[in-house]
Amino acid sequence: MPSLSSEERQQLHDSLLELLGDKYTFEQWKKIARSPGGEGFGRAEWKEFAEMGWLGIALPEEVGGSAGGLTELGIIMAAVGRFILLEPFLGTVVLGASAIEKAGTEQQRQMLSEVAAGKLLLAFCHGEPGGGYARDWVKTVATRDGAGYVLTGEKGFAIGAHAADQLIVSARIGSENGPVGLFLVPRSAAGVALNQAPALDGRPGATVTLAGVKVGADAKLGTSDSDRLGVIDEVIDRGVIMACAEAVGAMASVTDQTVEYLKTRQQFGQPLSKFQVLQHRLVDMSVSTEEARAIVHAALQALDDKTRDAQRLVWMAKVKTAQCARFVGGQGIQLHGGMGMTDELSIGHYYKRLTMCETLFGDSEWYLRQLSLRRDAA
Amino acid sequence: MFIRTVEHDTSLDKFRAEVRDFCERELPSVIREKQKRGQHLEKHEYISWLQRLGSRGWNTGKWPKEHGGLGWEPAQFLAFQEELGRAGAPPLMSFGPTMAGPVIYTFGNEAQKRQHLPGIIKGDLWWCQGYSEPGAGSDLAALKTRADRDGDDYIVNGQKIWTSTAHWADWMFALVRTDQTAKKQEGISFILIDMKTPGITVRPIIGITLGHHLNEVFFDNVRVPIANRIGEENKGWTYAKFLLANERVGNVDVAKVEGNIEQIRQLMAETREAGKPLSDDPTFNRRLAELEVGLATVKALMADQLAAARLSGAPSLMGAAALKLRGTELQQGILQTGLDVLGRHGMVYQSDALHAGWNGEMIGPESSADVIYEHLYRRAATIYGGSSEVQKNIIAKGALGL
Ligand SMILES: Cc1cc2nc3c(=O)[nH]c(=O)nc-3n(C[C@H](O)[C@H](O)[C@H](O)COP(=O)(O)OP(=O)(O)OC[C@H]3O[C@@H](n4cnc5c(N)ncnc54)[C@H](O)[C@@H]3O)c2cc1C
Repeated sequence: MPSLSSEERQQLHDSLLELLGDKYTFEQWKKIARSPGGEGFGRAEWKEFAEMGWLGIALPEEVGGSAGGLTELGIIMAAVGRFILLEPFLGTVVLGASAIEKAGTEQQRQMLSEVAAGKLLLAFCHGEPGGGYARDWVKTVATRDGAGYVLTGEKGFAIGAHAADQLIVSARIGSENGPVGLFLVPRSAAGVALNQAPALDGRPGATVTLAGVKVGADAKLGTSDSDRLGVIDEVIDRGVIMACAEAVGAMASVTDQTVEYLKTRQQFGQPLSKFQVLQHRLVDMSVSTEEARAIVHAALQALDDKTRDAQRLVWMAKVKTAQCARFVGGQGIQLHGGMGMTDELSIGHYYKRLTMCETLFGDSEWYLRQLSLRRDAA
Repeated sequence: MFIRTVEHDTSLDKFRAEVRDFCERELPSVIREKQKRGQHLEKHEYISWLQRLGSRGWNTGKWPKEHGGLGWEPAQFLAFQEELGRAGAPPLMSFGPTMAGPVIYTFGNEAQKRQHLPGIIKGDLWWCQGYSEPGAGSDLAALKTRADRDGDDYIVNGQKIWTSTAHWADWMFALVRTDQTAKKQEGISFILIDMKTPGITVRPIIGITLGHHLNEVFFDNVRVPIANRIGEENKGWTYAKFLLANERVGNVDVAKVEGNIEQIRQLMAETREAGKPLSDDPTFNRRLAELEVGLATVKALMADQLAAARLSGAPSLMGAAALKLRGTELQQGILQTGLDVLGRHGMVYQSDALHAGWNGEMIGPESSADVIYEHLYRRAATIYGGSSEVQKNIIAKGALGL
């Protein structure tokens, strides 16, 4: 797997922090998040990220990417978390792009150049009501209609679906027992209805109802009718590990912010950071962040190296990261006292984002269960 | 060990039935409906319910009879809370009945009792708590808001912060500094401030819930009659601590906690994983059982403190600290479980649905927005009323002599 040298990774990391630290201040964040009638993220920012080459970091060179590995994408996602960027990295660059890359035809993969250029937004619409975190629960059906298909079904809340140009929809081909295919459905297609709502962290998304949506033969990713659940599994795993990388960045920021706050906040005639019980708490936050960083890094490496236990490691990383995120996010608020409870301070927004990262695609309990069920298989 | 007799009064069955029956008949349908849908009440709706409770003396049933209460035993007060919770009634009011009232009847003079207790008993008036300031949170005694004598009045200047529901309040009980030179605990007085007095400005603070519950309150030359001071000048710290012990026992509203557990049970039934309801899931059921053990323990701790309060006039500072510590952890545990269910619906937070008149389409179970609101709000349960760290310091010093 071609990927960057350690020095190049360091440079990437530094340039991310430098540019974002400069431009993506919390004041700017609030402006974007609260802009009336806005989409919940910045189009201008997205374009700029594309120009920096961040969106195409892990995409093939033929489509204008830099053919980096998942470790490089992870570095970007950690920065996304550190600044709680609002732009649709997970939906477009992680989930959407990997579905097209893994399942698409040569021609469909050309769309990735638009992803890299920041011109195409995607949303991955797979989960359905009643499925919970189960990855193989697909009731939506794509019946054949001449050379094309007609899609009917309900998709659960998908992040970024409200603004996506193309929805990537899973559906059973032919009948409710058919193999699961992936379809490109324009958000504006007739028969597509969205119920837009904010998630816990305020970011918009939507549930999607498909009421007899007609699409052409080329809407199906790939040409064969073979079952795509394996691809879906890989796409979700990629979402899992990138949400973990994002959480690691967010945790690092929460820890830094809390250390700074306790150094300046005076009570009982001294800075709160002088109380040993709080020092130990900060140490636990810092060590938790470090634990999560280490196991996420190990999982990214395993994915890049395509080792046999890569999936197991991804799931373990998810368990550990979710547990650490819950602790670090919660303590971020706790140690800020009343200040942590206000919408004006960033710490609460980090808590909310960490809660999302923690539960997206399954929470720690769910992955522990999966790990225990598949222990024999490992 | 195991000293106190726990009364098993079967006459409580009759009382429970009476409360159930009362809720059935008297809980206005608007409130019932809003409670069911997890929508927030307007002040006038809340007051109308408190007034109904007041007609039976139930806002202040646990007060001694000589002060207008019903002298309830702890078991009766707990039974009362349980029945309210099950009936889907709004949570009990604490600012007046649990905080201001007992301070007034214990330390106030006759005129103050006559002026203020009836409004609390009847449920007519809304109180708020003016303790915390920007520089005085955990270190409450560092407060700076000052009250200087001028004839028959105090002139109050300064700022309070995190004042819950100050925008609804008719009265505030406040801690102010009346001696600038004394040791910090010894220069504080406890006064009652009419919120309509000129010079008071209330500014909202929007919380992480996206709701307006918290406020900043500014005092600019506010005249408060010296007659509104409770007890002695500069002895306010004693009354403040007495109030805090009561507050901490009241922090864990058992009715609300029971209601939350019921909500989670409902959420589990309405949420499916690969087609099967989570109410069939052994992991979730185990967690539910664990929460129930927590609740039973917290109730037992609470019964102790209510009994202590009845015997000696106040719960012990140590016991209240222990109860507050575990009770608030329990609350957070329950709401975390709720969130773990809602992750399966995409963790959607339609906070607009908390207000009547919203006519959007709810994603996931009907109580989703309320459960997420509660989850976010109860992050503060381990902060308000004295943080968990502060409770542990109290126990370390007071109970363990460290
Ligand atoms: C939702 C909400 C409602 C509230 N309602 C009211 C109200 O109605 N009226 C009112 O007067 N106040 C109210 N408060 C204020 C509340 O009482 C204070 O927030 C609380 O006392 C903590 O003070 P602080 O916010 O200044 O935090 P700080 O005192 O700055 O504490 C920050 C962190 O440091 C920790 N810490 C502080 N000192 C120590 C120590 N010595 N040892 C170890 N750890 C320590 C704290 O535990 C906390 O985690 C409310 C607060 C919230 C969040």
